[in-house]
Amino acid sequence: MVLDLTMGMAVLALMGALATIAGCLEDLETDVGSQSNANSQVQLAPQMGFLHRIYNKAISGEPVSYGFSAVTGATVTTVLLNFRLYPLTAITIGAFIAAIIYGVFSTTAHAGRIASQSRFKQPLYMDMIRYTTPTIIAHNFIANFCLIAIAYLQFTMLGFPFPIPFLALIWGITVGCIGSAVGDVHYGGERQYQNREFGVGLNTALSGRIVRKGESGLRSSIDNVWFCAKFGGPATGIGFGLVVFLTFWPVIIFRGYTWNTMIAGFIIVVLMVLLNRLLEVNIKNTYGPYKEDKIEKEART
Amino acid sequence: MVSLLDPTMLTNIFLIAISGTLICIAVHFIPVGGAPAAMAQATGIGTGTVELAAGSGLVGLLTASHMYAGEPNAPVSLVLAAGAMGSMIMMASVGIACGIMYAYGVGVPFASAQVKRDPITGARQDLYVSKGTQGHGVPTVCFVSGLIGAALGGIGGALIYYVLVGIYTPLITTSAAAVAGVFTVAVFYVNSVIPSYGVAGTIEGFHDPKFRRVLPKDAVTSFVVSLLSGIIAVMIAGGMV
Repeated sequence: MVLDLTMGMAVLALMGALATIAGCLEDLETDVGSQSNANSQVQLAPQMGFLHRIYNKAISGEPVSYGFSAVTGATVTTVLLNFRLYPLTAITIGAFIAAIIYGVFSTTAHAGRIASQSRFKQPLYMDMIRYTTPTIIAHNFIANFCLIAIAYLQFTMLGFPFPIPFLALIWGITVGCIGSAVGDVHYGGERQYQNREFGVGLNTALSGRIVRKGESGLRSSIDNVWFCAKFGGPATGIGFGLVVFLTFWPVIIFRGYTWNTMIAGFIIVVLMVLLNRLLEVNIKNTYGPYKEDKIEKEART
Repeated sequence: MVSLLDPTMLTNIFLIAISGTLICIAVHFIPVGGAPAAMAQATGIGTGTVELAAGSGLVGLLTASHMYAGEPNAPVSLVLAAGAMGSMIMMASVGIACGIMYAYGVGVPFASAQVKRDPITGARQDLYVSKGTQGHGVPTVCFVSGLIGAALGGIGGALIYYVLVGIYTPLITTSAAAVAGVFTVAVFYVNSVIPSYGVAGTIEGFHDPKFRRVLPKDAVTSFVVSLLSGIIAVMIAGGMV
């Protein structure tokens, strides 16, 4: 099913906006809950003698945990839609139930991980669980809502052959993948190591020596999400928004899947390669090399 | 009734095996740095092989399935192209967002530790690798390699879907697409996990020496596993009658 151009673009714009919010909130949730690759440093810190007050949950890799969360919510939504509830109500209830289940997993994952670190004297802070878990649930709820809404739009408006839960599963996996690839770099590469010089990669020798002091008092996971919301979250949102928007933009413009659609998609990809190259050149010129070329150095001396 | 010895079925099983192998090969092209890349300690995109390969491939599956549902008489080449397009756009979007993050969020230039010069642009890499790291960011060669991987993964996923929908549609008309989609995701995950053991967490792309070292073994393993997956995919159709 291909809608007319105006309606198609409207649905696509809505999907793009939902995807941007979903991407942003997914990343921020995994920052406040500390999940995926960057969490390896939080896990390692007590072993290096750095006890901390950072929430430490890694239910699984982000794609799998978000796929699970989105498919749970979408299944509930589908059941409620069969009971003839309004779509908005059904999606909201579905996302809420999935978020509560996610909260249960977060708490058990955190408690389990900290318990496994008892030999390193890492305490389990109950107050931290009390105020961080609702934040995780809230972020997850919004991300779920957006993902299920995208799946619903695709199923009802764009004529995708997959049912809503399966579409939500795929988008959950994709948003988890992008959150892990983009936003976590800001959390792991920058926020956790703000004590090292800006503009260099993390020296392997510093692994596990995360910053534990906050802007005021001891650093908490809420401090981390405050920082990551300035760049990591929005960048992830833009990444996921681009995926959803650009993948289906040629399809809407060219009224279906034709060879012209494929050529347009390919041109988008080529433009992105060029953009990445421009970014690479710009950043190398701005920051400069870390060391001099031996031959050039010898020639000068 | 579906027969395993039917020449058409044998061809379908073989096509699934080929598609699985394509997905496995695709994973080796995708520049993943795992946890070290998330801390700007290694070149590539800061996530796992399975995550990124499956993430991009599944977007390709979405576009391919959408296309096939709208135009059931479309040639197979167009279905495969739709899969490749979806995957490539996903990979390119992630690459750009990731590049912006490394450039302005962490503040590191893109540099590969595996080559002195970028094989595509000829730009120096070694001078930009900071102390105590194995490179950082997504240089052009990694970006292009990722796109090749995404295209192969998208084609592989779309081909599995195309074959399975063809088998299941006469048996279960309404839910054939969903069953074929779920099975495609399963084959995708299986073939994304197999190379993970070979690449051991990080690989920069086709220019990485690890690429040539592990690819042949992984591809053979993947072919055998995908062949089994194909047999199972055909066998489950027996229960649909």
